[in-house]
Amino acid sequence: MSILRTEGIVKDYPGCRALDDINVSFDSGKVHAFIGKNGSGKSTLVNIFAGATFPSAGDFFLDDEELHFSNPSDSREKGISTVYQELSLIPYLSVAENIFLGRLPKKGKIIDWEKTYRLADELLKKMKVDIDSHTEVYKLSMWQCQVVEITKAMSFNPKVLMLDEPTSALASHETERLFEVIRELKKQDVIIIYISHRLQELWEIADTVTVLRDGKFIGTEKLIDLSHKNIIHMMFGDVTPSVRPDDLPVHDEPVLTVEHLTRSGKYEDVSFELRKGEVLGIAGMLGSGRTELLRSIFGADPFDEGTITIGDKVITESSNPIRMKELGLGLTPEERKSQGVILIHSIKNNLCYSCIDKVSKNHIIDEKKMTAISEKQIEDLQIKIADINSPISSLSGGNQQKVVIGNWLNNKPTIMMYDEPTRGIDVNAKGQIFQIMWDQSRKGVSSLFVSSELEELLEVCHRILIMHLGKIIGEVNPDDLQIDDLYAICMGGSI
Amino acid sequence: MPKLELFSKRKTNNFLLDHMIEILLLLMIVGISIISPAFLTKNNVLNIFRNMAMKGVIAYGMCLVIISGEIDLSIGSQVALSGVVVAWTSKFLAEYGIPIEYGALIGILLALAVGIFFGSFHAWARDKFNMPTFIISLATLNIMYGLAALICKGFPIVNAFPKWYVFIGTGKLFGIPVPAVILVVMFFVYDFISRKLDLGRNIYAVGGNAEAARLNGISVWKTRLFVLCSIQVMCVLAGIIDSAQVRSAAFGFGRGWEVAVISSVVIGGTSMLGGIGTIWGTLIGILFTGVIANSMTLLNVNEFMQYVVNGSLMFGAVMFNTYMKRKRN
Repeated sequence: MSILRTEGIVKDYPGCRALDDINVSFDSGKVHAFIGKNGSGKSTLVNIFAGATFPSAGDFFLDDEELHFSNPSDSREKGISTVYQELSLIPYLSVAENIFLGRLPKKGKIIDWEKTYRLADELLKKMKVDIDSHTEVYKLSMWQCQVVEITKAMSFNPKVLMLDEPTSALASHETERLFEVIRELKKQDVIIIYISHRLQELWEIADTVTVLRDGKFIGTEKLIDLSHKNIIHMMFGDVTPSVRPDDLPVHDEPVLTVEHLTRSGKYEDVSFELRKGEVLGIAGMLGSGRTELLRSIFGADPFDEGTITIGDKVITESSNPIRMKELGLGLTPEERKSQGVILIHSIKNNLCYSCIDKVSKNHIIDEKKMTAISEKQIEDLQIKIADINSPISSLSGGNQQKVVIGNWLNNKPTIMMYDEPTRGIDVNAKGQIFQIMWDQSRKGVSSLFVSSELEELLEVCHRILIMHLGKIIGEVNPDDLQIDDLYAICMGGSI
Repeated sequence: MPKLELFSKRKTNNFLLDHMIEILLLLMIVGISIISPAFLTKNNVLNIFRNMAMKGVIAYGMCLVIISGEIDLSIGSQVALSGVVVAWTSKFLAEYGIPIEYGALIGILLALAVGIFFGSFHAWARDKFNMPTFIISLATLNIMYGLAALICKGFPIVNAFPKWYVFIGTGKLFGIPVPAVILVVMFFVYDFISRKLDLGRNIYAVGGNAEAARLNGISVWKTRLFVLCSIQVMCVLAGIIDSAQVRSAAFGFGRGWEVAVISSVVIGGTSMLGGIGTIWGTLIGILFTGVIANSMTLLNVNEFMQYVVNGSLMFGAVMFNTYMKRKRN
C-alpha cells in the first residue's frame, strides 16, 4: 500500500498561476482518473510528478518521503513512471529492445540477447498479453504499442504509473483490450493515474476521479457516485451565459457551400453552407476530422469526392492554397508554431506573407506600404510588441496568434477559417480573438471556427455543426443548449 | 550596406560581435599589407577579384539556395560541363562551316539550356519525390562529370573559342578585369533579388518554414525552381569565365569547388538551416576566402596548407554563427 500526495502545490508562470494550492492524494491498487479541460493545470501537475517541471511552492510525498526532482530520471528512480500520449517507441527495433532501450542486459561489454528476450517475455507474460518480444514494433497495432509502453514503464517496478491519454489513438475494440491490461495492473499494488478526455470510458476503468479547474482543486469523488453531468459540472463549473453581441448581421446569401465532401479515412460526406457574415462553429473531439476538413477546403490537403462552391466558382478537384487564397479564403492553422508563423522572421514580415503580391508593384516590394499595413494591423488587433522588426518568436502565444490572424486579414479575405485559434493562449487574448471574429462579421466576412473548447463555440458562434468520427451528425443553435448538452453530444456521437 | 532587416534588431547591441566577419577581414587586410607590401597594390587587389569571380558568382546563387533550405553539390561538375559544351558545339559547328564566332554563342545558349535543365531536374525531383537536394545533386554531380568527360573524350578541347569569348575571361573594361566586373554586377543583381523582390521574400519564407509558406499561398515549387536554376546558370557563367581564361575546356574544371563556395556562404553568416542569410554577407565571405588564398600565395605558403586553413575557417565560421545564434536568443 503506497500513497502519492501533495501539500499546497503552487506553480506560477509569468503572468499566470497554473496551479493554486493543490492538495490531492492517490492510493495504490486503484485507477485514479485525473481530468480537467484545457488549461486546468492538469498537465502541469502531471509534469511536476514526472520531474519535467518544478512547483513554485508546496511539497509532494510518496509514502511520506518528500520528493524533489531535478529531471525526469529522478522521478523514475523514485518510482514514478509515465507513459506519454506520443509514443516513444522506435519502430524498427524489437519489442524487447524497446523495453530495455539504453539498459540492455550485458555479459561483460557484450549485449546478452538471450537474457534480454527472456526478461522481456517474462514482463509481457506478467501483463497477460500475447506479444512476442522478438516482433519489430512497427508490426504491432496501436493498442499493442501502448501495452509495450506500459510494459516498459512497469519494468522499472514503479509505485506510480501515470498514463496520459492512452486511448486517444485507439479504436473502441482496442480500448477494451488495453483496459484488460490496466485492470490486471491494479492487482500489482500500483498507483495508477489515468488522464483522459474521453469521459464515457472513465466508468469502465477508473475507481475515483479527481478534477482540476483553472488551476484549482475541485474535488475527488468515487465514480460510482457520479453521473456524466456531475463530472461535466465539476469540469466547467457554472457556465457564464453567452455574451455574443446582437448586432452581427447574417445575410442569406451563402459564400461557401460544401457538398458531399469526402476524404477517405478522414471524413466523409460533409455538406454545409456558410452565409455572409456568419460565424459558424464546428464542434468535435480530437480526431473527429475537423482539422482535415478545414485543410481540404483550404487546398492544403486533397479530397476524394464532393464539391466546394465559393461565389460562382465550383471546385470539384483537390485545390491548393494559392488558388483558394485568390478566391478569398484564409486559414489560421492548428499548429501555430510549425504551420502558422515563420519563427525566425520579423513580426512585420509575418504580417505580410499572405499578401506579398499586394505590397509589391511589378514584383518590387514596397517596404513603406508593408510597414504601414503591418502597423495598422498591430493597432487594430491590439498586438503588443516592442519593435516591429523583432522576431515573432519573441511574442507570447496570444500575440503570435493575432499576428497569424492579422496576416490573413491583410489579404482581405471573405471567408476566414480558424483552426483552434485559442489553444495555449490566455483568457484575455481569447476574448480579443473573439472580438476580431465579430468585427469581421460586421464587415461581412464569414468565419469557420473549429475548437475543442466547446464553451467558446457557444459563446462565439451563430450556428454550430457537430462532427463525430468524420461525419457531421447535426447542427445546433447555441442559444438553445447548455455546455453539458453540447459536450454530451460531441462525446456520444448522437443528438 | 545595411543587413537585411528580416530578423535584425535581433542584434546584440555589440557592434564588434555583429560585424565580426567584416572586422576580421579588415584586420587581415591591414596585417597582410604590413607583412607583404605587394598585397595592397592595384594589380593584386584586381587579381583577388578576378580569381574569386568564378566561385563568387556561384556563391551568390548558393546563398539563395541555402536560404531556401536546399543545397546544390553539383556545381563543380556543371562548371566543367558548360565549358565543354560550349567548346564542343563551337568545334562541331565549325566543321559545317559556321565560324567559331557564332558557334561559341550557340554553344553558350546550349550550355544555358543544359544548366536550366539540371536546375529544373533538381527542383522536380525535390518536389515530386520529396528527395533531399543533398542526394539529388550528389547524383547529378557524378552524372555531369561523366557527361563532360564523355563529350570531350577525356582531353581538353582547344582552339574552340573566338576572341570575344576569351575577352570574357581575360579582357579588361576601364582597366578592370571583366570577371571582376561580372562579380560586382552580379552582386547588385542578387542583392536586388533577395531584398527588393517578392520572389526574394518568398525564398526566405520557404527556407524559414516551407509548410507555413505553403499555407500562406506562396508557391514553394516555383521558389525552389528559381533558386536551383539560378545557381546552375551561375555555374554556366563561371564555366564560361573559366574556359575563356585558359582558352580551353576540360572535364576536370570546377572539381571540388563546392567546398569553397559553401564555406564562403557560411562564413558570410548564412544559416545552413535556411531562412537566414544575406548576399552582402556572402560577398564578404568570398573576399575573406579570396584574401586568404591570395595572401598565402604571396607569402609562399604550401598549396596544401591552404586546404587546412580553408577547412579550419569553415569550421570556425559555423561555430561562431551557432554561438551568435545562442547569444541573440
